[in-house]
Amino acid sequence: MQKHSDESLVAYLDGELGGAERQHVEAWLAADAGARDRLAELAQSADLLRSAYADIVNETVPGRLIAAARGETGNAAPQHEAEILVLKRPPRRIVVTVPGGGWGIGVAAAAGLFGLVVGGAGSYLGTGLLNTASPAAEQRLAAAAANNTWLDNAAGYYKLAVSAGDSLALDVSANSDAREALQKVNLEKTPNLVPWGLNFRGARLVVVEGKPAVQLVYTTDNKAIGPLTLVIGSSKQPDIQRTFDRRQDVNLLYWRHQGRAYALVGQTDIGYLWGIANDVGWQLDAI
Amino acid sequence: MSPSWNQAEAPVRAAERGAPVSQRFSDQLIAVLPRLRRFARGLTGSATEADDLVQAACERALAREHQFQEGTRFDSWMFRIVQTVWIDQLRAREVRKEDTDVAEERLGSDAPVRTIEARLALAEVRRAVQFLPPDQRTTLMLVTVEGLSYKEAADVVGVPVGTIMSRLARARIALQQHLDTGGGSRRSVKNAEAQ
Repeated sequence: MQKHSDESLVAYLDGELGGAERQHVEAWLAADAGARDRLAELAQSADLLRSAYADIVNETVPGRLIAAARGETGNAAPQHEAEILVLKRPPRRIVVTVPGGGWGIGVAAAAGLFGLVVGGAGSYLGTGLLNTASPAAEQRLAAAAANNTWLDNAAGYYKLAVSAGDSLALDVSANSDAREALQKVNLEKTPNLVPWGLNFRGARLVVVEGKPAVQLVYTTDNKAIGPLTLVIGSSKQPDIQRTFDRRQDVNLLYWRHQGRAYALVGQTDIGYLWGIANDVGWQLDAI
Repeated sequence: MSPSWNQAEAPVRAAERGAPVSQRFSDQLIAVLPRLRRFARGLTGSATEADDLVQAACERALAREHQFQEGTRFDSWMFRIVQTVWIDQLRAREVRKEDTDVAEERLGSDAPVRTIEARLALAEVRRAVQFLPPDQRTTLMLVTVEGLSYKEAADVVGVPVGTIMSRLARARIALQQHLDTGGGSRRSVKNAEAQ
């Protein structure tokens, strides 16, 4: 390596010179004002370069990259779409008894608001409606049907919250002590999504699959995200990783973890949903 | 609000394709994604191309998960994959970015300046990086931005430490010239490539 060169100055700046080489450069710098100026320029441009790329690591990582890192690909249809579900007769309307004491709205109402027949699976299913060949297949289809119902309800509740706007009746307001109400669904706290620009507006106690659930409502001025709801309910189904689905113009990211089912619902793109779901997962120990 | 996602783009887990991915490996990969995006941004000069590059690198990494040696640096392993995929893409295109759109952009006035921060926006610095030859750009990003040592960068790129040292010096000097002279960008690229 040339001793008196930009190369040695750069290596000196980077702390890559050994003892003898470093001493040689330092002696050069002590004797040569031009070399000192040159060193300062190189240091300055390196700092500027680091600054130019500093913010990129703070950007939200797109959902597609997280999906890719998890070994998921964007070239195939969701698994549930591969299911061919045959109905023996038209689906019946789901009837749910709404408990008293402030529980907001039943499944039937929410699904009715949403239009009842929606969704990627293309079918509403009820137990006993399936034309199946084996108990295992029937069980599998029943599970798919229950999952679809859960997602239909979550999407329906979202639509209800959005359409009601400011007049939405809340069981737990953002300013009240939510603990007692949240304990009904074994939830100790609500996720703080302020870093996403999302403000907690309140919670609604709802019924999903005949079980108590909570719908957390978040609003924002950020039109790229828009209002979001997070539905959390109990579940006896096995855990599943985060999975995307859609109901009309509503996107859902849902997962199950340790006896709870989660559905993050909104009209923003999957990148935001994925990032927010990560945040929710960490805060609620739900992943 | 108009969702950009549709069901045709919905993901399928690797397990459903018969290729289970270990949770630990995925977690490591997700953790390093922000730095991979930054590295890729420096290489490609484009946010969209960078994310495409990182996605391709993730897919390649998952296919070669068994090749990663526990106890070695995962980020360096991934940097190497990103760099390899990028070089493959460059060769496939046979078009150098600095010969097309970047050459039409100017960095500022021709007047020399002492304090470059006062005159150049950070975006212009990133643009200046795109004038560097690919090998210098890679070295600059790995060492100066990502903080790898010369030895680590040499392992990523697969060249001797001395080569990293000379590439880095040429890159820093060329970048300095870009930032000092602005309009002399084309000359600086040719000078850097000639060395």
